[in-house]
Amino acid sequence: MKEKICFTLNNKYLSIDADLSMRLIDFLRDELRLTGTKEGCSQGECGACTVIIDGKTANSCLVLLGQIEGAHITTIEGLGDENNIHPIQQAFIEEGAVQCGYCIPGMVLSAKALLDKNCGPDKEYIKRAISGNLCRCTGYKKIEKAIQRASEKMKEAENDD
Amino acid sequence: MKKRGKGIGATFYGTGYGNGFPDVSNCEVELNCQGKIVVYTGATEVGQGAKTVLSQIAAEVMGVDLDSIVLVCEDTCCTPDAGTAAASRQTYNTGNGVRLACIKLKEMIKKVEENHKRVKGLPDEILTMKEIYEASRAQAIILKARDSFTACTSTMDEENGQGSPYWPYTFSCYAVEVEVDTETGRIEVLNAYCAQDVGKAINPVLIEGQIEGGFAMGMSWTLYEDLNLNQGIIKNNNFSKYIIPTSMDMPDICSIIVEDEESTGPYGAKGIGEPVMLAAMPAILNAIHDAVGIRVTKLPASPDYIVKKIQELDKSNLIERK
Repeated sequence: MKEKICFTLNNKYLSIDADLSMRLIDFLRDELRLTGTKEGCSQGECGACTVIIDGKTANSCLVLLGQIEGAHITTIEGLGDENNIHPIQQAFIEEGAVQCGYCIPGMVLSAKALLDKNCGPDKEYIKRAISGNLCRCTGYKKIEKAIQRASEKMKEAENDD
Repeated sequence: MKKRGKGIGATFYGTGYGNGFPDVSNCEVELNCQGKIVVYTGATEVGQGAKTVLSQIAAEVMGVDLDSIVLVCEDTCCTPDAGTAAASRQTYNTGNGVRLACIKLKEMIKKVEENHKRVKGLPDEILTMKEIYEASRAQAIILKARDSFTACTSTMDEENGQGSPYWPYTFSCYAVEVEVDTETGRIEVLNAYCAQDVGKAINPVLIEGQIEGGFAMGMSWTLYEDLNLNQGIIKNNNFSKYIIPTSMDMPDICSIIVEDEESTGPYGAKGIGEPVMLAAMPAILNAIHDAVGIRVTKLPASPDYIVKKIQELDKSNLIERK
């Protein structure tokens, strides 16, 4: 049964009729075709489907559409693209932090949620922030360095303003 | 009580299919109308960096920028077979295939260029790749070359154990420091130093990434991962039971790239995909022995197993003393 729901997705206000028992990840991927959010384990263990809901990271495989009424949601598509790249994405490229890439949208969003709250995190903070995102390829080291680099770049940019 | 120990592990590993099994990588290269070098090869990119390394090799042979290389791979409709993305073989085997095909194309380009200059009577003219393509059209020559590389291995002589079952071999030596909690059996890896022979580092950042990822997998194999098969059924079939490391479990890793050029490799390079994970296990187990005196003979070295081994050791020490 479809019901009305309103929320903000990547800074765009949406008011739609949808099945509210649908998982958020299915709504994003299947209905809106925002396939940057990846489905890994479907059990909230791997973090591949991470999105930001009201400033906090969440596994979109464990969130039902009905739970996000009025919320602000950010997916990887809300950060940037090839033409307008986000400093975190740029730092991941520069550090060589990406291998197969499947965990990366979730990693980048966990990094963003961290840096939005704490613009100069130390190594332990960074490790903790991405501890809910599993990566099989990289051993996390270059991802940690990329987040460090992004935090420095973002701070510099802020100071320039 | 928490006890610390240090250990090292050294390995050698043969890459490629080995044992005389046909290990062939084919490659086709052409100069297109935009003056780009298009490389066709069946190599598969799974995140290891094959596309980057193969493009770098092609750019090096052709003497052009990386931007001038278009690599087409993983398309069975137009790419010649380059074997599997397995056996740590793409850099060495397909890298060689790409190199050989590019050398052929470079020779063809040189001839077209010379012909063009002779006909025009302009011996000092420098042609762009686009102009060379146009010259080749005028000369009715298609600038397309194909070559293939087969690794030089032979089956092992069963009687005397001689032969070249693998070519080439890759060497590594890892050192780690661990902390063992003797009460809980939990092991924390504190530091890791990973020295890996790579022949020639075509892309050092990618190699560091492989070493770090390989160490994580090796550490995980040693300490956490347990499929727990029961009558053919996997018991630990999700991430809440099948444990792999998170960022919190990883120590600092110091990667040491050792370059000892392999004469048969593309620019001396060798494959390192699998070798990078191997030395982690013996290094960690030796460090556990150094810390608490037990020899781990079963993987994973899980906390319950470690506690049991420590208790056994304590008991036998007690009996000895009596």
